[in-house]
Amino acid sequence: MKNYLLMISLLLLMTTVMAQTKTITGVITGPDKQPASNVNISVTQSTAGTVTNTAGRFSITVSPPATLVISATGYRTVTFPVTTSTAEISISLEEDVARLDEVVVTGLATNVKRRNLANAVATISARELNGIAPAQTFDAALNGKITGAYINANSGAPGGGISVKLRGVTSVFGNTQPLYVLDGVFVDNSSTSGGLNVVTNASGSATTSSQDNPSSRIADIRPEDIENIEILKGASAAAIYGSKAAAGVVIITTKKGKAGKTRVSVSQDLGLIEARKLLGAREFNGDRAAGLSSDPATSTALRAQFEAAKAAGKIFDYEKEIYGNTGFARNTVASLSGGNEKTGFYLSASQKDEEGIVKKTGYRNTSVRLNLDHRINDNIKISVSSNYINSSADRGFNGNDNAGVTLGIALSSTPSFAQLHPDEFGNYPANPFAASNPLQTIALMKNNEAVNRFINGFNLEAILQKNNKSTTSFIGRGGVDFYNLATTVLFPSELQFQAINKGTSIQGNTRSLSTNYILSLVNVFNVSEQLALTTSAGLTRETGNYNNILNIATQVISGQSNVDQAGASNATQFRTKYQNEGVFVQEEALIADAIILTGGVRFDRSSNNGDATKYYAYPKAGVSWNLTRMGIIPQTFVNDLKLRAAFGQANNVPAYGSKFTSLVVSNINGNPGSIVSVQQGQPGIKPERQSEFETGVDFTVLNGRMSFQLTYYTKKITDFLMQASLPSSSGFTSKWVNAGDLRNRGVELGMSARPVSNRDLVWNTTLNFWKNRSTVTRLDIPSTPQGSFGYVLGSFQIEEGKSATQILGLNGRGVGLLGDAEPKFQMNTYNDITFRNRLSLRFLVHLKAGGQNINLTSLQNDFGMTSKDFDVIGNEAGLPNGIYRISKVGTTAEEFVQNSGYMRLREIGLYYSFTKLPLSYLRGVRVGVSLNNWWTITKYKSYDPEVSNFGTGFSTGVDVLPYPAVKRASFHLTIDL
Amino acid sequence: MKMIHIKNSLLLAVMALAFNSCKKDFGNLNNPTVEDFLANASQSQLNNLVSGTESGMRTSMAFYIDDVGTIGREGYRFSGSEPRYVTDLLGFNSGTLSNSNFYIATPWSARYRVIKNCNVLIEAATNSTLITEPQRKAYTGFAKTIKAYQLLLNLNLTYTNGVRVDVNDPDNLGPVLNYDQSLTAIITLLNSGKTDLTGSAVSFPLAGFAGLSDAAGLVKFNRALAARVAVYQEDWDAAQTALDESFLDPAGDFNAGVYHTFGTGSGDQLNPMFIPQNTNGETRVAHPSFATDINPGDDRINKATLRNTTASLSGLSSDRDVWVYKSSTAPIALIRNEELILLSAEVSLQNGALPAATTALNIIRGGHGLSPYSGASTEDALLTELLTQRRYSLFYEGHRWIDLRRYNRLDELPIDRGGDDVWVLFPLPLTEE
Repeated sequence: MKNYLLMISLLLLMTTVMAQTKTITGVITGPDKQPASNVNISVTQSTAGTVTNTAGRFSITVSPPATLVISATGYRTVTFPVTTSTAEISISLEEDVARLDEVVVTGLATNVKRRNLANAVATISARELNGIAPAQTFDAALNGKITGAYINANSGAPGGGISVKLRGVTSVFGNTQPLYVLDGVFVDNSSTSGGLNVVTNASGSATTSSQDNPSSRIADIRPEDIENIEILKGASAAAIYGSKAAAGVVIITTKKGKAGKTRVSVSQDLGLIEARKLLGAREFNGDRAAGLSSDPATSTALRAQFEAAKAAGKIFDYEKEIYGNTGFARNTVASLSGGNEKTGFYLSASQKDEEGIVKKTGYRNTSVRLNLDHRINDNIKISVSSNYINSSADRGFNGNDNAGVTLGIALSSTPSFAQLHPDEFGNYPANPFAASNPLQTIALMKNNEAVNRFINGFNLEAILQKNNKSTTSFIGRGGVDFYNLATTVLFPSELQFQAINKGTSIQGNTRSLSTNYILSLVNVFNVSEQLALTTSAGLTRETGNYNNILNIATQVISGQSNVDQAGASNATQFRTKYQNEGVFVQEEALIADAIILTGGVRFDRSSNNGDATKYYAYPKAGVSWNLTRMGIIPQTFVNDLKLRAAFGQANNVPAYGSKFTSLVVSNINGNPGSIVSVQQGQPGIKPERQSEFETGVDFTVLNGRMSFQLTYYTKKITDFLMQASLPSSSGFTSKWVNAGDLRNRGVELGMSARPVSNRDLVWNTTLNFWKNRSTVTRLDIPSTPQGSFGYVLGSFQIEEGKSATQILGLNGRGVGLLGDAEPKFQMNTYNDITFRNRLSLRFLVHLKAGGQNINLTSLQNDFGMTSKDFDVIGNEAGLPNGIYRISKVGTTAEEFVQNSGYMRLREIGLYYSFTKLPLSYLRGVRVGVSLNNWWTITKYKSYDPEVSNFGTGFSTGVDVLPYPAVKRASFHLTIDL
Repeated sequence: MKMIHIKNSLLLAVMALAFNSCKKDFGNLNNPTVEDFLANASQSQLNNLVSGTESGMRTSMAFYIDDVGTIGREGYRFSGSEPRYVTDLLGFNSGTLSNSNFYIATPWSARYRVIKNCNVLIEAATNSTLITEPQRKAYTGFAKTIKAYQLLLNLNLTYTNGVRVDVNDPDNLGPVLNYDQSLTAIITLLNSGKTDLTGSAVSFPLAGFAGLSDAAGLVKFNRALAARVAVYQEDWDAAQTALDESFLDPAGDFNAGVYHTFGTGSGDQLNPMFIPQNTNGETRVAHPSFATDINPGDDRINKATLRNTTASLSGLSSDRDVWVYKSSTAPIALIRNEELILLSAEVSLQNGALPAATTALNIIRGGHGLSPYSGASTEDALLTELLTQRRYSLFYEGHRWIDLRRYNRLDELPIDRGGDDVWVLFPLPLTEE
């Protein structure tokens, strides 16, 4: 480390001294000749820059000769040469619907204009992310907005938990989630279980399981701070990120202060949260109540119980009591930003507090961010971003369970005439129909995740050398992401199902430290008017250190939760540690401002690999060719036509510990015991490697008012990591192997347009279509069902020649194909309609066509004899539906593998900006109303087609009585000073 | 030119720095690895393996006992969250036993995991230079005995589908042997274990071997298992010999024997067979025939206590809880004196020594408040009586289904719902095919 510091200091000393300066002023107007505010003015080969004020005016100091670059989102970028005689300039901007002039990050230290990109890089602006109908968490705010992604919420539980798969599945049992990079910091996105499995036994007797439904840590990030998001969907774009980029990279840039008057903005949201849908329950009568038992005496008693409840008016809708809470949500954000030519700052503080649809659940997030940019001189710029987050999620108690204790499982067998309410002393009766009384469970339990997190990013850019032809700069970027996660799981002894354990308290403590840095040198060499070369090279390092301790106490003293207040205790500890190192070089050639050739390679090694010293190489190459700029196609109807192709490789390191055959602790009677782990070590484990080829054509028509982006990709994952099932007679049930190859192919078609643009009305619209198909092209290990509950209920299975996400199960004639989790295709449309610059209507509609879920929610309700249509006769056998469906168990799983397509009005918002303001210091007042996930059209027969009992891994879409999905309605007020 | 030169040198410097940075491999931060134990294990490491083995034997035992108990119609496992106990295991409708479901996959792999641990123990003890020869023999003898017992439990489930005996090399597993070959392999393993244990020096602690935890005691335990296996093999002479060398004590406590013990200590396990009485939702209830078939006055009726309310699920119901395991730390028997007395009755019966068989059976009857046997003194009648006594004495200890299968009497088991089946065996787990 010492070496690097020394190197940086040397580089700083090498920077050149400032030359003679001159102050330039000017005014920028939009296409409507109105002053354009917030337009960026920067100087090439310099770090200087400013923005225009509300009158469209700016002032900047340069050393002539220099070139000003005037840019703003949605407008074409203008360059303006400054000579010693230049004084006042006046420029009018032109529209750029396709955002061709937007600068996109393509390398670790370089970027290019979208016009010249060889990849289809998706971008989400602040307005799209958080300005339509804000979601609860950052991950939820991405949903429906990324072309090429399959995004799926695990449940409606407060605090998030969302799977993002970019361009199909990129791994089977390895990491399927993209790398998130926040202002240069590689942000940890792990999910840590609080140990619910101790109570639910969902995966046998282990402490934790993949069915504990923890949130993903990316949910901590505040969307309000985000300026823009770029999504590198595959290796052809992300290769330079090396070992962590196989599932794509999401690059998040937060807001920065801009020179000019200090801006203060305060916004307040108030909202309501409700269940998207409730299933309803079976309507009982005497006969149906009696039918709950096959025992004559019990039947008689049940009938009497029902009649008594009915007579006393004590028939309840328990589903509504449990999931019918209307949660109140509030969110306050205050930000302060500004600066001068040298220093810019952005300070924000925000807090949100939201209740869930189940009482005593909810989410709270408090965040403070300070972003500082400072120009030491014309050649050196540093920026620091720091973020403190405190979040707390009470996530409720849902999902699969083998002990009959989660709310959903208990509810599934509780008829409406059961009496579960507390007596006058507050004592809850035992539920005679289930192992737990869900009302009591809600009242007494706790399942909380509390996070304290610091994310700090540093960025140093120094121009080391410059002349007419060449500029060389050093860019150092890195950061630290540290969090402490405290999980609290508490089930007091009064609970019906705590008869054996007499109270369970599980306190978890997780410490996670991730660091990363990228040190690079970038040289831009303008060989001639027609040729510019950008060379970058550098080195990277990422480390992670994760330490999770769970203390499990049972026989807990009444009213206590500390783990020492208990008769028995148990502890588990799990640590992981890794270090990845890489070196990269990249060369970009811009020919005639129309052809871009890119080539690069990264060499990477990781401590998680079987051979920790071995470097793996990840090359990338790309070409984009703008035919109209070259003059090959005249600029008539088509304005900008670009052909592009890119290739790249990236990898995914094996899970920590894949290489070891461990012995785990298993004690008896105070004798410490060691027993061989069920996972066999694989000393030769290699990373899985993704090779992606992408090609496409982009063009705009009608003077840039309409643009199209058409992309085809094929990506091959070789040596994909999989936990192979072993013959368990070996003593092992699994081992990590590089099991085979799979391929994803897909298309992404996008259109954006501004159909109407006049003084009264501006309408921006985008329409996207995307589809992906996967095929397993090689599988070296026997194909076995995995990721669900076996053929009887429907299961995923990796099989050569088949789709990676196929669902197999019993079909009445044996085992056959029942479905596929992959959607047939997806579409979205985003529309932003602004009337007279004041009233703005924005909405996002998302369509997911096809794709199957494994729906076991309705099965559980059938087994509990409480499903709403239990008694309806609607099948060929002439039996009540509930009976009929149960009779199919063991013969066919077709009933459970259901189409989970939907069309959803993801977000809609209506905002009004007041322009005539009573007070001079008020710059703006905006009010708005919005609806999030309010309307859904689907045939899917459970709470929501977006569901995942197994969290964010490979096997999403398994539906076992989840925390129901939610919708929200909000009111927004923003005041700018 | 100069510029390019500077650029190249910087590049080289950067590369050099990267390649020079120190190499990292963090090792296993969470557990010991098998290699650590195989190198040259200390006595305490070997003892850790012994305790891990004894502890691991308990894992998933509830699935085994519920498999045998449910198919043998000893009772039902009602679970609001796991329908397969009352569908697949009872052959509901046209359902069959699946080769990928928990009821076979989970107990099967838990047993082989213990076998793996025993193999590691044998190899570690063999490699160790830090123990004496008699100590080494105790470790290997114990490991072989436990291996044999674990194989037997899996064989009981898969029956003529057999088990895999040679599993030492996970990457090169031996064949699946048929039923007779498997039993032969098991008895061979037990005999080899006995040889090792005889005269060995036990230097490891055991939890559930009260009075049998020294070398002599372990031999008796080994022989008790050998008696059970010999009876399964219908090798009555060998069974008699084994019984003579076991801890069989006709006058002794029925409950003397070897147990899986449970505790609330850190890293320990609770008895998974314990469900409090009158629980709803998750219950284990006795088959209604348990109470209707029992002789009046038999104190074993207390193994299935009357519930406050009848439990029912999916067309099945019962008003009695299984009440064999009365607390979360109650032990589960591996093999105990009562079974040995019953085995001696069976051996006598099969050898034609009907009075001796009757005497042994009367010990059992007397011990449970029943008068001496007064039925016909025919081989057939006594066999029925024997099976009845085994049914009640070993209720929910994992025997009835196997006993009826041995005597081709599975068709005597009651069918509760039209379309239900009594399975003869489990399929081999999918991963074994």
